[in-house]
Amino acid sequence: MSFFKDRNCYMKNYNLSFKEKWSGFNWQFLFFICLVVFIGIGVLYSVGGGNWSPWASKQTVRFIVSLCFLMVVAFFNLRLFMRYAYWIYGLTLLMLLGVEVFGHIGMGAQRWLNLGVVNLQPSECMKIALILALARYFHGASLEDIRRVKFVIPPLLMMGVPVLLILKQPDLGTAMMLVFETAAIFFLVGVQVWKFLLVLIAGTAAIPLVWAHLHDYQKQRVLTFLNPERDPLGAGYHITQSKITLGSGGFWGKGFMQGTQSRLSFIPEKQTDFIFTVLAEEFGLLGSLVLYALYMIIIFYGMMIALKCTNFFGKILALGLTVNFALYVFINMGMVMGLMPVVGVPLPLMSYGGTAMLTLFIGFGLIECVAINKEMVIGRLGSIDDE
Amino acid sequence: MSVWKYEKAREIVVRTIILSVIFVCISLILIGRLFYLQILQGERFFVLAEKNRTAIRLTMPDRGKIYDRNGVILADNHKIFQAVLIKEQAEDYQKTLDNFKKLIPLEEDEEKRILREIKYKRAFMPIQIKDNLTKEQVVLLHLNAPVLTGIQIEETMIRTYPKKDLTAHVLGYVSLLNDRDTNVDSIWFDLAGYRIGRTGLEQSLESRLRGKPGFKKTEINAMGRTVRLMEEGKSVAGEDLNLTIDIRLQKMAMEALGNEAGTAIVVNVQTGEILSFVSTPSFDPNMFLSSISQKKWNKLMNNQKKPLQNKALFGAYSPGSIFKLVVGLAGLESGVIDPDKRVYCSGATQLGNQKFHCWKHEGHGSLTLREALRHSCDVYFYEMAQKIGVEKIVETAQKLGFGENVVTEMIGDKNGLLPTPEWKMRTKKDDWRMGDTLNLSIGQGFLLTTPLQLVRAIAAIANNGHLIDLHFLKQDKVTSTASLFNNAHLRLIRAGMYDVVNHENGTAYKSRFDLDGKRMAGKTATTQVRRISLKEREEGIKKQKDMVWESRDHALFAAYAPTDKPKYAVIVVVEHGGGGSSAAAPVASKILKEALRLDIEDAKLKEGVTRK
Repeated sequence: MSFFKDRNCYMKNYNLSFKEKWSGFNWQFLFFICLVVFIGIGVLYSVGGGNWSPWASKQTVRFIVSLCFLMVVAFFNLRLFMRYAYWIYGLTLLMLLGVEVFGHIGMGAQRWLNLGVVNLQPSECMKIALILALARYFHGASLEDIRRVKFVIPPLLMMGVPVLLILKQPDLGTAMMLVFETAAIFFLVGVQVWKFLLVLIAGTAAIPLVWAHLHDYQKQRVLTFLNPERDPLGAGYHITQSKITLGSGGFWGKGFMQGTQSRLSFIPEKQTDFIFTVLAEEFGLLGSLVLYALYMIIIFYGMMIALKCTNFFGKILALGLTVNFALYVFINMGMVMGLMPVVGVPLPLMSYGGTAMLTLFIGFGLIECVAINKEMVIGRLGSIDDE
Repeated sequence: MSVWKYEKAREIVVRTIILSVIFVCISLILIGRLFYLQILQGERFFVLAEKNRTAIRLTMPDRGKIYDRNGVILADNHKIFQAVLIKEQAEDYQKTLDNFKKLIPLEEDEEKRILREIKYKRAFMPIQIKDNLTKEQVVLLHLNAPVLTGIQIEETMIRTYPKKDLTAHVLGYVSLLNDRDTNVDSIWFDLAGYRIGRTGLEQSLESRLRGKPGFKKTEINAMGRTVRLMEEGKSVAGEDLNLTIDIRLQKMAMEALGNEAGTAIVVNVQTGEILSFVSTPSFDPNMFLSSISQKKWNKLMNNQKKPLQNKALFGAYSPGSIFKLVVGLAGLESGVIDPDKRVYCSGATQLGNQKFHCWKHEGHGSLTLREALRHSCDVYFYEMAQKIGVEKIVETAQKLGFGENVVTEMIGDKNGLLPTPEWKMRTKKDDWRMGDTLNLSIGQGFLLTTPLQLVRAIAAIANNGHLIDLHFLKQDKVTSTASLFNNAHLRLIRAGMYDVVNHENGTAYKSRFDLDGKRMAGKTATTQVRRISLKEREEGIKKQKDMVWESRDHALFAAYAPTDKPKYAVIVVVEHGGGGSSAAAPVASKILKEALRLDIEDAKLKEGVTRK
């Protein structure tokens, strides 16, 4: 790998002034992101029974902190991320290993790394780090390269190692997200469709093997998803109550802070994974569709930024992050609507949670960075003149 | 731009478009699903959400209180704490129940009932676990609430009978519902601790006493805890009832009967009010409120004097010589008996080859009707009955209310048995013989009368022939028939009854009294106990003294007082008491004397009040 070699490549050219960067920043994109966050804080206020504590206030603080991170990241030089992509990936992988060794148990799963000041969830960071690494990897590759089987083995390993570590924690949701986002990037850069089908067939064949290694609670969740009535008061309770909450909203909803299901705690984890049901209960189909539309607008902006970018690193990075965001939305919604097993994926920008919010905003910061540097020339190996 | 870059960029655009199409498809699925859940199924889920958050609990109506004629409370309600189990709120009801038992022991029968109720009651309906909790127990349960999920402590009302055994056979008692109560509306099963009237007026007037349950619609959270009251429907208390019973007289009647098994009923002959309605031995109805222990139950059941049996209501006795009043009246009404004509009693009457004995073997000599009643001579009535004929006797008896129900307010009132030739043909497939008429004439044989019928007949004789409706509930109107008999004839019968008590040769002379000139008139009866051989066989060999008590005659006495202006009539039955004159008449005497004394006392009190 050549990233040790040309240390000075990003210095040579293309240093935008702050003013140029400021005007290149996509403010509309940020506006829609913030809009969703505000809606989320409103819902958390309602979930708290009309109180800022315990959720809404903390979420607001996190939003402000995350927003700062977004701005900082956005105004970085894009080449810097290209340059340190593998370093970031490597560091995150080390932290994941650290969780394995030092991590303390939180919520029944080993996910958190106590860094003294903050509790960091390396698996969350890995979502971005992996996209960075893959963007870097595919940046200089030609279509012929990409279509060679041998070429996709290193990125598969890049994905595989953290996925295995995260599965061990165990965190099925995040592992799945990593697999999906890698697959999406593979697809976007032009890996042939038949390869996906092949893997899909192989994967289906491996289901019994995977099943044997699943934890009991994971098995329960899958079984319950397949038949919620199996255990209406136990594992199926979540899905049943989630559907009741959603459905009872009707078209207009019950009104702000009038959702009985959430207020009376009939939905579990109402402030995190199931927050969408609270919105759907209180604002009905109308509110749900508005939120959904906002999500689609954010995804649309993300894709447009990616397509407008002239360098592949930025293209792939922005696409990967946008697709990652979209996957979050789809899986969470599918989950709370009873279309998917409950895998513990939060609704981005809405769900209460610090690391998730921060990671998302760093991701959006990167997309903004791509938007700002859309005309930057990045050489095959990270410099401008290495073609 | 180099070719590879161009190719790659184009590929990425194509793939992004494909992915966008996939995203649009996913979006359509998600939106379709949302539409399905919120619009198509919205109503259903709305109902389910409402069901989730609301709990409807029925609230117990106050059972109507019961007072005696002077406002003394006979059936009251008082507050108690009870522990109930709500199955759907319990994590594991068996565990909860086990933990409960560790704190407060439960009787085995109780536990069986609880388990049975858990089975058939709906999951959200409370099941009574234990009532009458002491303060210490309430505290204990509160402290251990974490291991008693599903247990709730609630305040409820429980029936009490402050006069205990005095009112047991008038009021009856209430007890918890059980699975044999199939004809009880299910709403009452949903009320934990609801007790239904089982006997007496509690049973008969259940629908007036019970009231209407209220409801409390509360919002509950997912843990089942009540968050707030949403809607409340107040319960409607049952009707308070004022009885005609005078508890003081009731007490006197109980005391007068003492340890005997028997009954005493006092009525007002003018109004039909029942002032005393006693069956002995009695029991404390309070013990049926909570489940009664097997030991106590067995003790009640094995008592040969049958405390649980309401003899005043269910008892059916041969009236014996009291029926001579009916025969005498029938004779007078039909013109067969000439009150001044004497009939000779030699101690027996010959009928074909059968000999019918008088109770006095040596005979009474020659007697008028009045004397025959005074002496209770059997032969006089044997002779007369042959002339009167069974039809006329039965007709008179029917006019006096024999063979029919007397009270409508209490369930279980019996018809007794007034035998007729048709009845005999129908049931015994045999002709009515003259011997049957003779047996009937002295109140023996097939004839069975209830204490209520007897007291009403006496009341009719005393009140110049009006058959009056007897009742337990205070009411303004008096329902009675027009006079059914010639008053001169009734006076003759009453003269006979007067002699029974007040003539030195009368059979109840020893029980006479004179309270400011107020006297009693009556008629004794001593009836042979018809022994059923089947019953004997069932019960096996008995101790000798029990055998003796069991085979003793029943003693009866029917009377009214005062003689000049009759107000009260009484019937006393002492089962296996021996003679009517020795066992029953003194009891009746005490009761009537007390009734008259109370009248005087009340009048004085009233006078005192008005003077003030």
